[in-house]
Amino acid sequence: MGFKLFCRYSLGDARRPLHETAVLVEDVVHTQLINLLQQAAEVSQLRGARVITPEDLLFLMRKDKKKLRRLLKYMFIRDYKSKIVKGIDEDDLLEDKLSGSNNANKRQKIAQDFLNSIDQTGELLAMFEDDEIDEVKQERMERAERQTRIMDSAQYAEFCESRQLSFSKKASKFRDWLDCSSMEIKPNVVAMEILAYLAYETVAQLVDLALLVRQDMVTKAGDPFSHAISATFIQYHNSAESTAACGVEAHGNAIQPCHIREAIRRYSHKIGPLSPFTNAYRRNGTAFLAC
Amino acid sequence: MASAPQPERALRLLARCLIWYPPPPPTVGFLSMEEEETYLELYLNQCAAQDGLAPPRSPLFSPVVPYDMYILNASNPETAFNSNPEVKETCGGFSSVDLSFLPDELTQEDKNQPVIGSKHETEENSESQSRLPSPSDIGLGSNSPSLSNPHSQQHPSDTDSVQASPEKPDSNSLPLASITPMTPVTSVSECCGIVPQLQNIVSTVNLACKLDLKKIALHAKNAEYNPKRFAAVIMRIREPRTTALIFSSGKMVCTGARSEEQSRLAARKYARVVQKLGFPARFLDFKIQNMVGSCDVKFPIRLEGLVLTHQQFSSYEPELFPGLIYRMVKPRIVLLIFVSGKVVLTGAKERSEICEAFENIYPILKGFKKA
Repeated sequence: MGFKLFCRYSLGDARRPLHETAVLVEDVVHTQLINLLQQAAEVSQLRGARVITPEDLLFLMRKDKKKLRRLLKYMFIRDYKSKIVKGIDEDDLLEDKLSGSNNANKRQKIAQDFLNSIDQTGELLAMFEDDEIDEVKQERMERAERQTRIMDSAQYAEFCESRQLSFSKKASKFRDWLDCSSMEIKPNVVAMEILAYLAYETVAQLVDLALLVRQDMVTKAGDPFSHAISATFIQYHNSAESTAACGVEAHGNAIQPCHIREAIRRYSHKIGPLSPFTNAYRRNGTAFLAC
Repeated sequence: MASAPQPERALRLLARCLIWYPPPPPTVGFLSMEEEETYLELYLNQCAAQDGLAPPRSPLFSPVVPYDMYILNASNPETAFNSNPEVKETCGGFSSVDLSFLPDELTQEDKNQPVIGSKHETEENSESQSRLPSPSDIGLGSNSPSLSNPHSQQHPSDTDSVQASPEKPDSNSLPLASITPMTPVTSVSECCGIVPQLQNIVSTVNLACKLDLKKIALHAKNAEYNPKRFAAVIMRIREPRTTALIFSSGKMVCTGARSEEQSRLAARKYARVVQKLGFPARFLDFKIQNMVGSCDVKFPIRLEGLVLTHQQFSSYEPELFPGLIYRMVKPRIVLLIFVSGKVVLTGAKERSEICEAFENIYPILKGFKKA
């Protein structure tokens, strides 16, 4: 769990994130992933397969183009990286040759083949050529850049280490955390990679949204609507201290649990005429942050 | 700055240094294994003789005399004294060394300087010395790791004093200082003499005959063959330390060598082994497919800044891989840049591509130096 603290630091939270927030984030991510896994298992069963494959997860994500594109990009980078590292280390090269199957670009092939098969309108396949800038990713990069500019060497080293943490490093622990062993249908290797990535994305999304919420709470001088903040939001602020603590300086302050809760509330809020159709998991009721 | 274990593994220890062989004249025909080894020794002796220095001491010491002296001064006073007369000799010798390998900007600078006889000579000295230190640096490093430390300390000071002469720190300690007034060398020392060292070379060659892999695996030493897993024999030799994949079609892949010449030599050795087993092996179409080099810029790099400004070329996913992957367009090289300052370059077909790529990236990296 200390890992989560580190994770959030690297994604934009303060250097010493609050323990309560960490607990809450862990809870949220855990719930979301378990639900996601259940849904994927259902899809898998519909197909009559025995393992949860990446195709199932891609299928669940088909509705949200941006997030799907981010996932695809991640898979391609993963392929590319293993290709390069293979060229560098001769041991890796031999291992790859010995493992028999043609491993080059396997994730890309999987994704391409699958999207080809379910694509009715051509939108999904168009994503492969799409070179639009991912705004969310851009924002995260800029935030990281701003944070690191003012750090000294030692802080920067710590920051880099925390950024290198991921759910995919300790695969067995991750599996246990998700309680995969009790499931009938288990995810395969590439599916686990994707799940680890989605878990990371969930944390990242939570941090993004929580930071937005916190920013909203800063009363700007001259803003005529500053007194009219959301009524439900006020509920979370019981004491004057917490309001003050959440206030003025965006940098250096840890994200509070109230920010997280508000972020989730806003995200799952059904606003607008098309909201029932935009999110993939309406029947379940929960909104997934990562998909 | 602690780096993750993965880059170290990918880079091997940088203490294993490149032994810099200039490319030999093209070989015709097929040399026997023993001839190969003596050929190499002969060639090296030839090079040393050309440089006008005594071959008995390691030929790698020969090209750079002042550094040689500096190190010897530090460790072994008697040999320093002995090498002194040689040093004086070669000073004159250097002026006749062919400097055409230096970039054009340098020779321009030469012309701009007031042409006074001795000064011109000494400038050539300083320039040739500023280029040559790096291979000898590396050579020294491989011979005496403890002695290489003063060297590695010198280089950061070189990088810091941008306009100042790279040799200034030495000129105080060298008795030759009075003879060689140093002039700042700008364009060549932009990279401050950091030359990427080759770590791995992958090459292919066609033996041009069908091979019986089972026979090879049975009779050759250090050969593995597991037809169910992979349809090739994996053979290894100790000198040069390489691995070869030999296919039944007669094609062969050779990996693990640290220089172009070593790769060729190793490939020939494998071909020789196959030949000795009774196959009419030839040595056709030897081609280097990939070269991997690495070096250290010696300062921490702020990768977040780099990925933002060079988005179209870089990808940085720290949870996936601790280094930034930079795809350089010209030359077409992939660089892995780590926070610690280590840089790995791969995808080159020629050594010059690696050097050029590094020269291109170095000023960019300097811009993102983490103070």
